[in-house]
Amino acid sequence: MARVLIADDASFMRQMIREIIEPEGHEIVGEATNGVEAVDLFKELAPDLVTMDIVMPKRSGIDAVKRILADHPSACIVMCSALGQESLVMEALQAGARDFIVKPFKPDSVVATLKKVLEKAD
Amino acid sequence: MSLDLAKYRRIFLEEAADHLGEMSHALLGLEKELAGAESIDTLFRMAHSIKSMAASLGYEPIADLAHKMEDRMEGVRRAGRVRDSAELAVLFQALEALEAMVAAVADERELQAADESLLARLAAPSDGVAAQGEPPILSADPAAHPKKVRS
Repeated sequence: MARVLIADDASFMRQMIREIIEPEGHEIVGEATNGVEAVDLFKELAPDLVTMDIVMPKRSGIDAVKRILADHPSACIVMCSALGQESLVMEALQAGARDFIVKPFKPDSVVATLKKVLEKAD
Repeated sequence: MSLDLAKYRRIFLEEAADHLGEMSHALLGLEKELAGAESIDTLFRMAHSIKSMAASLGYEPIADLAHKMEDRMEGVRRAGRVRDSAELAVLFQALEALEAMVAAVADERELQAADESLLARLAAPSDGVAAQGEPPILSADPAAHPKKVRS
């Protein structure tokens, strides 16, 4: 099971992701509320996987992905996107994010996506 | 698996109240400085966040209005400023409508869709806001409406 960092400025979304993936046996090792924290916590915690919101204060999720991958090319990052963010998701995937999950979250879909990404990363 | 929707409704009301307060503060800031980048960014992010939370809970009228506001603020971000007092007025009206909808959730009243004319005014191009009460100018030619690349 994986050590997961959740990056999202909305407590609502962080709790929802936690509630979806903890029962699957994953450990939430940290929560970042903006893109700068996401980069800092990644360095500090070295999680197996990051769920990264796109729209965040201080540094966007896209910038945070690029920053993390510049130093840690094998980092496993899954984007959290919303309706209308297709081009931003594409930008993140081109930058090296592994996959994306879409808000509003469907728990089964979130679990399946993370499972697939973690299996590929092994 | 199913999520505890009552718990998330409570979190939504708390976060939405904070967000609406920040949006109000940001709009007041834009009243003084139409190009206030921080205020513009705050309005965009708060509208985005309310949209995502509302959609997660099935509050479609809130999600729809917040989405329209987010799109409008994306246009404002690209333009680098709120165009004029007419555009600011539309944003104030949208905020007021969002506040009323969130209050309806808090009071467990039925949610009503946002006023059509407000949605139309929000959807009008940010570099050419139609005067209040005036319908937006739309073309039947799809080429006149290039696909939005960001929202």
